[in-house]
Amino acid sequence: MTDSTPTPRERVLKLFAGEAIDRPPCFSGMGNVTIEGLKKFGYKFASLHSNARMLSDAAASTYRLFGFECGVVPFDLCVEAEALGCEINVYAHLDDILYPTIRKKLINNEEEMDIVVPSELPALGRIPLIKEAIGLLKAEIGKEVAVGSYVLGPFTLAGQIMELNDLLKLSFKKPDKVGKLLETLAGVIIVVAKEYESAGADYITVREMGATSDVLSPRVFKNLILPYLKKIFAELKTHSVLHICGKTNDISVPMLESGAKAISVDQKNDAAETRKKIGRDALLFGNYDPYNVLVSGTPGKVREAIRKCLDDGVSAVWPGCDIWPTVPPENLHAMMDEVRKYRR
Amino acid sequence: MSDEKSKEILDALKNAVIQYDEDAAKDSAQKALDIGMDVNDAIFNGLVSGMEEVGRLFEAQEYFVPELLMCADALYAGLDILKPHAKKMDLGVKGSVVIGTVEGDVHDIGKNIVKMMFDVAGFTVYDLGRDVPLDRFVEEQLKTDSDLVCLSAMMTTTMVGMKKVIEDLKAKNPNVKIMIGGAPVSKDIADKWGADGYAKDANNALKDAINMISSLKKLKEDAEAKKI
Repeated sequence: MTDSTPTPRERVLKLFAGEAIDRPPCFSGMGNVTIEGLKKFGYKFASLHSNARMLSDAAASTYRLFGFECGVVPFDLCVEAEALGCEINVYAHLDDILYPTIRKKLINNEEEMDIVVPSELPALGRIPLIKEAIGLLKAEIGKEVAVGSYVLGPFTLAGQIMELNDLLKLSFKKPDKVGKLLETLAGVIIVVAKEYESAGADYITVREMGATSDVLSPRVFKNLILPYLKKIFAELKTHSVLHICGKTNDISVPMLESGAKAISVDQKNDAAETRKKIGRDALLFGNYDPYNVLVSGTPGKVREAIRKCLDDGVSAVWPGCDIWPTVPPENLHAMMDEVRKYRR
Repeated sequence: MSDEKSKEILDALKNAVIQYDEDAAKDSAQKALDIGMDVNDAIFNGLVSGMEEVGRLFEAQEYFVPELLMCADALYAGLDILKPHAKKMDLGVKGSVVIGTVEGDVHDIGKNIVKMMFDVAGFTVYDLGRDVPLDRFVEEQLKTDSDLVCLSAMMTTTMVGMKKVIEDLKAKNPNVKIMIGGAPVSKDIADKWGADGYAKDANNALKDAINMISSLKKLKEDAEAKKI
């Protein structure tokens, strides 16, 4: 039997290809750097984002230290917005872990919503750097585990480059105007995702957190946002995942209709119900709580949460969001062990 | 002034908020002033009543955040006209609050909804905005001697910073009340870190807001009942 045990990479690729595998993989399409990993290299979190070598080292460390079955860069949500001209803040003055945010928006009022995308987009901001990090990560651990990257969804990206308050209200008052912006941004996302593909990413996650049913009605999701997600997934050649956090039970079927190979949901989704809705063969990734379980829980609580995900019928054990870096090593070990020994 | 006319205006104010109609809110607020209605009555039984219904619609998932934001705009459109004429209510507290979203977090929708509640209730609000360095909360509280400090964080990644602010605030001024809010916040966390109250999301913030305003309303009514 040992001979036929697939590598984590083979397992993930087979899963995406719809082939039978020995067990669900335990991986993520979002950030999963840990303090333990940073300690090993003496890296400061705020310094990672603009250094390809550091990004790659940190991303590979979660696999090396804990056997987590992937390598993912980047670690922040500002890459596309920055390339479009937003100014970001990495909080370099702080030792605490804070994720970069947008300091200066690109669109400051409704009149500025007609943006022009620079033709040299692939060369702008940190896009070349993320590509380099993907390449390094491939060289480092790419034979053993699948290497992933992520982009934002068009609505979430719109919320980065303009005031979220304005975007939400306009999506109601002037859906045509918002639709036009989303169309432009879908184009941006396709360009960026293709760059990551060409750099060797095995799978790409589109993070469309802004479209959660905690914020927007399923109707607005379907009418205003879904058409542009479809556009994006139609263009992606590599394996793809659509991630939306918060309430998603009412949009799980449209999420699949986007054309993504897999959908990713967080702990607020009733995964058993979703499994019933989307059928046996659709790929559902999720949905443990990466903070209240993985960071503040005990190993026992972690095992229980992982078993619940698997009992509910997830295709891969996968966190509801980025893994928060202060995760205790014993909890990560407990999670990996539970996935390996679980039998349905 | 006829009771019927007052009721008509209260209904108009309420509906303007529910139907997020800023112009109607302004019109009705002006009418309320024109006929010499009790301004606090117009605010609480008109605008705030409307917001209570909005909260119900939000809970029932008929309304979502965009609607909530538009309703809040309508409420403010009315409030801006009425507020200069409102009598200060005696609530037994000084009524000032420091509010902001903690450093690392640029989401301020929940914070703004809570802020609306304090504006409605006639508090003096020191809004520090978003992405606020933690020390600023302590400085501002000391400077303004506010009764209450509200900290908001939408993301787990920024919530952890609240713990330190709570410790610093309580060390410098044990009497200050602290409310924390945001998606990752739980009762557990609020208890563990020594916060006096918490609101988990925009919906809960709104519910909390409404609860607080309803209790203020009750206080006001009780006070009036005693007068009679």
